[in-house]
Amino acid sequence: MKMFSVAHKTVFVVDHCPYMAESSRQQVECDVLTKSRAQGVIPLAPVSKSLWTCAVECSMEYCRILYDVYPKDKLVNYLVSDSEFHILNSWRREDQSTHELMSALAAVGPPNPREDPECCSILHGLVAAVESLCKITELQHEKRTALMDTAERVANRGRIICLTNAKSDTHVRMLEDCIQETILDQNKLAAGSDRLMGIQQCELVLVHIYPQGEDTLVSDRPKKEISPLLTSEVHSVRAGRHLASKLNILVQQHFDLASTTITNIPMKEEQHANTSANYDVELLHHRDAHLEFFKSGDLHMAGTSTRENGFKETVTLKWCTPRTNNIELHYCTGAYRISPTDVNSRPSSCLTNFLLNGRSVLLEQPRKSGSKVISHMLSSHGGEIFLHVLNSNRSTLEDPPSISEGCGGRVTDYRITDFGEFMRENRLTPVAESSHDPLRKLPVERAKAQLERYTRYWPMIISQTTIFNMQAVVPLANLIVKETLTEEDVLTCQKTVYNLVDMERKNDPLPISTVGSRGKGPKRDEQYRIMWNELETLVKTHAGATDRHQRVLDCIVACRSKPPEEEERKKRGRKREDREDRAEKNGSKEPEDKSWQDSERLKGLLEKGEQDAEVIKDSPDSPEPLNKKPRLLVDEVQPPERAKGPVSLLSLWTNRITAANSRKHQEFMGRVSSVNNKFELYQHLKEENGMDTHENGKASR
Amino acid sequence: MPTVVLMDVSLSMTRPVSLDGSEEFQRKNLAVHGLNMLFEHMASNYRLEFTALMAFSSLWELLVPFTRDYNALQEALGSLEDYDKTCIEAALNGVNNVVQQEWGSGCPCQVVLVTDGSLGIGKGSLRHSLQTLKHRGEDKKFPLPFPFPTKLYILCIANSEELQMTDAMDNLEHLLCLSGGDGQIFTMEGPLCMKSVQAMFGRLIDHAYSPFHAVLHCGNLSSDVQVFPRPEPVVVDEEVEPMPRAVSTDLEIVGFIEIADISSPPVISRHLVLPIAVNKDVDEVGAAATDELEDEPSASQMAGKSPNFCVLLHGSLKVEGMVALVQLGPEWFGMLYSQADSKKKSNLMMSLFEPGSEPLPWLGKISYLGPVSEAAENPYGEDDSKSPFPVQPPAKRSYAQNVTVWIKASGLQADVQKILRNARKLPDKTQTFYKELNRMRKAALAFGFLELLKGVADLLERECTLLPDSAHPDAAFQLSHAAQQLKLASTGDSQYADFDHNIVPMHTDFSS
Repeated sequence: MKMFSVAHKTVFVVDHCPYMAESSRQQVECDVLTKSRAQGVIPLAPVSKSLWTCAVECSMEYCRILYDVYPKDKLVNYLVSDSEFHILNSWRREDQSTHELMSALAAVGPPNPREDPECCSILHGLVAAVESLCKITELQHEKRTALMDTAERVANRGRIICLTNAKSDTHVRMLEDCIQETILDQNKLAAGSDRLMGIQQCELVLVHIYPQGEDTLVSDRPKKEISPLLTSEVHSVRAGRHLASKLNILVQQHFDLASTTITNIPMKEEQHANTSANYDVELLHHRDAHLEFFKSGDLHMAGTSTRENGFKETVTLKWCTPRTNNIELHYCTGAYRISPTDVNSRPSSCLTNFLLNGRSVLLEQPRKSGSKVISHMLSSHGGEIFLHVLNSNRSTLEDPPSISEGCGGRVTDYRITDFGEFMRENRLTPVAESSHDPLRKLPVERAKAQLERYTRYWPMIISQTTIFNMQAVVPLANLIVKETLTEEDVLTCQKTVYNLVDMERKNDPLPISTVGSRGKGPKRDEQYRIMWNELETLVKTHAGATDRHQRVLDCIVACRSKPPEEEERKKRGRKREDREDRAEKNGSKEPEDKSWQDSERLKGLLEKGEQDAEVIKDSPDSPEPLNKKPRLLVDEVQPPERAKGPVSLLSLWTNRITAANSRKHQEFMGRVSSVNNKFELYQHLKEENGMDTHENGKASR
Repeated sequence: MPTVVLMDVSLSMTRPVSLDGSEEFQRKNLAVHGLNMLFEHMASNYRLEFTALMAFSSLWELLVPFTRDYNALQEALGSLEDYDKTCIEAALNGVNNVVQQEWGSGCPCQVVLVTDGSLGIGKGSLRHSLQTLKHRGEDKKFPLPFPFPTKLYILCIANSEELQMTDAMDNLEHLLCLSGGDGQIFTMEGPLCMKSVQAMFGRLIDHAYSPFHAVLHCGNLSSDVQVFPRPEPVVVDEEVEPMPRAVSTDLEIVGFIEIADISSPPVISRHLVLPIAVNKDVDEVGAAATDELEDEPSASQMAGKSPNFCVLLHGSLKVEGMVALVQLGPEWFGMLYSQADSKKKSNLMMSLFEPGSEPLPWLGKISYLGPVSEAAENPYGEDDSKSPFPVQPPAKRSYAQNVTVWIKASGLQADVQKILRNARKLPDKTQTFYKELNRMRKAALAFGFLELLKGVADLLERECTLLPDSAHPDAAFQLSHAAQQLKLASTGDSQYADFDHNIVPMHTDFSS
């Protein structure tokens, strides 16, 4: 259905002339006497509804179903007509509810049988209905404004449902002609107005209501075109249940509805609480929920049955146990709001209450072959019940390659838990439109902005990070990503930094990943340097946000550059600890005065805010000095590059890994005693055979 | 979107193609060459597509049922035999059967019809089928349009001049139109030779079988991905918004939602999201590893070993039971989630919602979903025991608000009996009694059913006379009070018949 099909606007025009006060002659017994009380009591005479009551309650039922299935933008304007017209509501969304209409109807009251029938006519209402169709709805206005220069795409169509008691076929024709003329007049008027729209298509549905036991004076007539603007159809119906089922069929036709009967619903009996009987409940919903049946042509196979007087069809689906749980994500191709046909019957209200309490029911398609096919699911969301259509066909996506076989599939140390935490922090929540400041970005844009902030520095695997493996860093890491920081936040961050400094002083171990290396990994000093670098990288990405963010960065920079004396003292202390380690590796000790100079230089550089790679390389605790062990070719290439600028995380990382790896094995004889990284192979061969040998330039590989 | 290749093996396909000085080909050879090229392309770039191969003349035969085994398809092409005349209608009926049997009627399909533009003669020819279109019974309807959404690609081993000399082109256009208009007719340009058949199939590949590559973003984290099957453009409302909307190649995650909150939403299509190694990275790796060419799969091994955001996202979505809401374009969203195929295999999937600002009523407008951190109070509660979803609609539906419907007599009787039942239990049930009484009163006033008010008033008065001696004295007071109020309302006098007025219990005091 198009957005602006005739279904967008429905005008009800209900006859309020004295004749409508007549009885429908359908009697309702409302005094049901139980046997025990029957003696001596005269039962109350049955009551009967007037034509008006019948018309009103059936039109209300039409609206009830309509509003249940389309709570938005399928609008009703309700008019009654006697000696003049009365408009009971407007096209505005807030006026669209049965409660509003009932209240307005109560104010109008039943027709006055003593009013002069000569002054009364349905025509007043019909003319007003055409006028009303020209009035622009909120949705039409919104779309016209949004489309700007293609505003003409917004169509104005509508339907008039007239419930009346017509005198004859000629009378009906007169009414049609009158509507046609009014449309032409109103369209002229609308052409010159901003708030009115000309009618492009109008569908008149005239329902002639007459009391039971009488013969109709008006004949049924299928839809015919009166003019390109107007079509008309006439239904001649007896008041009472005939009228009710007629309007029920009409609402289905007008709004593309279809019927599903849920069968085999187990329900506890009121009297015998421990037994249960099976009930059926009929629901109406958009007919697309049956699309699969229509298309495959097995509508009849799917348990379709024609009910009652052959008026309408319903598809039968079977209640299916066990129930489904709500943490399962079904493949659902459509979800359609429902409305029970018999809303306050006991089986209906049992089913709807069951669903409204948050439970879902799977529905099974009865098939002759006996195979069980679950095709639908009933479930409520926010107090609305939906019929979900589940895919029951073979999936074209079956047997896909597993994610572990694709890119990044072999990596095993993803920070799955941390990212889970990240997702929780970046969950969404509805923001009331009323509380949204139009000057700010839309909530969804703010959500994206938050994701951007939270991911400025986010290593994906555990072995890529130190700080995110440290409890001590958590307070700072959580705060620094915020858009703004409070004084208190800055304080917390600073405390975190001081705490880290303290840890470093105490020489606490750091959770540096030793994945893939069996040795001890980098030395403690090196670990801290890596940690500080990483922390700085994280905070730097946020430093530009506010002054307070910058202060956190300043704090880190200040704290990690230590006075030379302290640095030195610490180093000396550490040297002694490290001696044993070094002895194992036959490493020569660095002259102490050199390291003094180095740390002086280190300090100077750090104060400039620059992290120079050379500093790291040359400082006494860096990976083994070059001359100590002949190293990989790459190492020789790197120093000039490193000297250029701040060390990158990658090279830091590579260094660490190569350093760690180099400790794990005994160096090749050849490499140890190589000259310029070159070593002659098969030397003895030469001696023995006198043949030339090639220098192996790739010995290092 | 599965593909059916429908290959014409009628005699006319064996017509030789005149080429000066080189080997002689039949049109069939050209067609087979083109299809081989298509299958090779699919095997390397579109290998998750299910394809079936059917051959047809006056009869049809399913040579290879739906498969991803492109070798099997190519082998079958190699052993095609020649038959009699072309009968497209029968073949289309065959397609209809084969597709519906395998995929049902909801699954969109692509049909690649390869023919030479000689469309049969006499009964069973396309011309005859189209001419008799309107004079058919229910049981002999023309197979098009298929019940499932179809893209029909017609590849003619003929150039357009040849087709326009007869009515073949008109008939094929008519056929495309009948199938729903989605698809295209491809003809050969220039002389009929291997080169031009390649060009024609190349155009088909570009049009329908080029993989959809996109970048999945989550803030600064991102991954290059292939979305399979290709997401198709969607028309929202042909009148108001006739331009089809296409999925953007930048897929932006906007936030995360629990599976229970998103609650099996309706989707228009589902796609696998497969992380891919971008070419430039592969090139770099390749350049660095030129001297170890023998280690051919190293590029893919490298890709497997370098961390990828999709894998991280998939892992966490799976563990946490959440979905990621992803923006596909302006006012168009979808969700990413982990989908388990079997116990071992699972994958990152993307489902597309209906385009629009509010695809799921229970989430509200998606542009009004913001970060939890901005809420004054965590809407999920400190211990994750709450949820801001589902969003409640402004009005309750009829089944959630105890409406009054008296269309069936039983509805009216039940309401009256309910009042009487409570009337007999006065004064214990005073509240319920008046509640039911007022509900009935409101409905009667709205429906202009004043006679009922009088009738119920009479019933209440009768109940009053039937009260047993042991009854509480208050019962009689309340019953006659209620009866009197109903009688007043039944006059329709606006003073007593106000819709919003409620009859309140009579104030009595029997405590002293």
